[in-house]
Amino acid sequence: MVKKMIGIEGSFAIAEAVKLARVDAVAAYPITPQTHIVERLAEFVANGELDAEYIPVESEHSAMSACLGTSAVGARTFTATASQGLELMHEVLYVASSMRLPIVMTLANRAISAPLSIWTDHCDAMAVRDCGWIQIFAENAQQAFDLVLCAFRIAETPAVFLPVMVHIDGFYISHTIEPVQLLEQEAVDSFIPEYRHPYPLDPDRPVTMGAFGPPPIYTEAKKAQEVALRASKAVILEVWQEFSLLSGRHYSPVEGYEAGDADVLFLIMGSFSETAMVAIDRMRAKGQKVGLVRLRLWRPFPVQELRQTVGKAWVIIVLDRAISFGGRDPSVLKSRRRFIP
Amino acid sequence: MIEIRWHGRGGQGAVTSAELLALAAISEGKFAQAFPSFGPERRGAPVLVFNRVSPNSPIRARVSVAHPDIVIVLDPGLLYITDVTSGLKEDGILVLNTPKSLVEIRSELSGPWRLAVVNATSIAREMIGVPIVNTTMLGALARATRIVELDSLTEPILERFGARARGNVDACRKAYEETETGEPAGIVPKRPKIFEGEELPTWQELLPGCVLTKPGSARQYRTGDWRSERPVWDHQRCIKCGICYLFCPEGCVKQTKEGYFEADLYYCKGCGICARECWTEAIKMVEE
Repeated sequence: MVKKMIGIEGSFAIAEAVKLARVDAVAAYPITPQTHIVERLAEFVANGELDAEYIPVESEHSAMSACLGTSAVGARTFTATASQGLELMHEVLYVASSMRLPIVMTLANRAISAPLSIWTDHCDAMAVRDCGWIQIFAENAQQAFDLVLCAFRIAETPAVFLPVMVHIDGFYISHTIEPVQLLEQEAVDSFIPEYRHPYPLDPDRPVTMGAFGPPPIYTEAKKAQEVALRASKAVILEVWQEFSLLSGRHYSPVEGYEAGDADVLFLIMGSFSETAMVAIDRMRAKGQKVGLVRLRLWRPFPVQELRQTVGKAWVIIVLDRAISFGGRDPSVLKSRRRFIP
Repeated sequence: MIEIRWHGRGGQGAVTSAELLALAAISEGKFAQAFPSFGPERRGAPVLVFNRVSPNSPIRARVSVAHPDIVIVLDPGLLYITDVTSGLKEDGILVLNTPKSLVEIRSELSGPWRLAVVNATSIAREMIGVPIVNTTMLGALARATRIVELDSLTEPILERFGARARGNVDACRKAYEETETGEPAGIVPKRPKIFEGEELPTWQELLPGCVLTKPGSARQYRTGDWRSERPVWDHQRCIKCGICYLFCPEGCVKQTKEGYFEADLYYCKGCGICARECWTEAIKMVEE
């Protein structure tokens, strides 16, 4: 089931995952540092390796709008973006989650202008924190490959039916070549069943999506959406458990590193946590009781798991890659012992 | 604090009435608030507007009025399609525009609250030339409730209506003079039969993403409630040409077995296009 380790760029590993998931539709607009993902997918479609509709669009707003349509007719749908592109598709993200369309998107995290910056931070991720998508952070190319595969399975589980965003740090993951174990097509086929929308857009069985909702209906709809997003955690845990049987790699909503007996903990999301592990190893070698908490699942927020992993630490240092202008705390959280996330 | 709920139809000026009332109260040194309950409604659809008036303290509540002291109804037809007395306080007052007398209205609508009636449509036609009763009903409100002085209403009406203001001021004054107020009739509420809408689904019942699987749900939408006039066919003049059928934008004109035409009043909005297009003048629009 598991193939041998190969050297591959993070973006291309993600494209391999999308191909293995047999997506039906990709609609995307290029933006650094995400471009390699969809360029590679366009190649796959062009050379016949991937039987999918590749929709080149004129903007990210159109990319996500096209994804709404393809997902709504029952096509497995993928897109990728970053930074300004994510900002441009912002309003459509809410439509995707509210209409419960299981789109999978990779976000190659990048700073937001100005001054113009193509480099990594999490300001783009934080700007879409509350858009109702399931959001997962990867720390390296292997995780990016694995978590994108899992994202399709999670999103399309009937009890979930929500879009999933997999965050990868721009350049640190998207443009880094590193060892990755891919999976056999048969293994992926058994892991990700066919996507079936229960009420697809179909001329023979007409439905209405996104109809007008006056306040009494809107309130009920938002409640249903919130309940679904919170309930998705149980499915995420199941899917990751099943994936570990397939691949030998296990994922959890919150993962510790040397966290058990630590007095001081770093709290980090994304690729920077691996760099932090190097520092923690050095400090541990000097006898300092430091450790790391990595937030893998960002939405729904894993409160219980975070409390458990934090354990008895006295200090939590949050290394946040986003700034909340005018706010006292960074976007993730900053607190000492007994914090309440 | 006095809380008021206005029942009107889109386009009848209920929002303007509430605004003018608030301006009049504020000009008297009181605290007042006016705000509409906006929906997707078109001209003719039932709408709600709210006022709060307080003689001596600022008004903080920014929510719709559920338990009004005063309910004021601009359109007589609204009594039969919406529960205008919903939440009306027992010591409150219901102010109606109706051609009926106090005694007639009491026979079909009574409760612990007081009643005030005025034929505002007739006054508005006479004084303004159109059956738009919003300023007229302000006069009735001032008379029935004394919530503001009649004179306080004049300045806001003059400001708002410019050249057309005189007729509105006169209509307001005439309604003030003609409004009849009656004491509480009885404590057993009696209300006209009202069309009940479908119950809305709860969050557990909604399909994922609020998808609607049955087409044609708009068919339940009773656009006939928007109507203030309905078409009546004169069979002496009708030549059964079907022009009314062709021009009806709602598709609600139907042919009878005898070959004449009639409107489906569940949907007919009373737009009057059929009457205008009928070249034998067989269709007249009559007030509901």
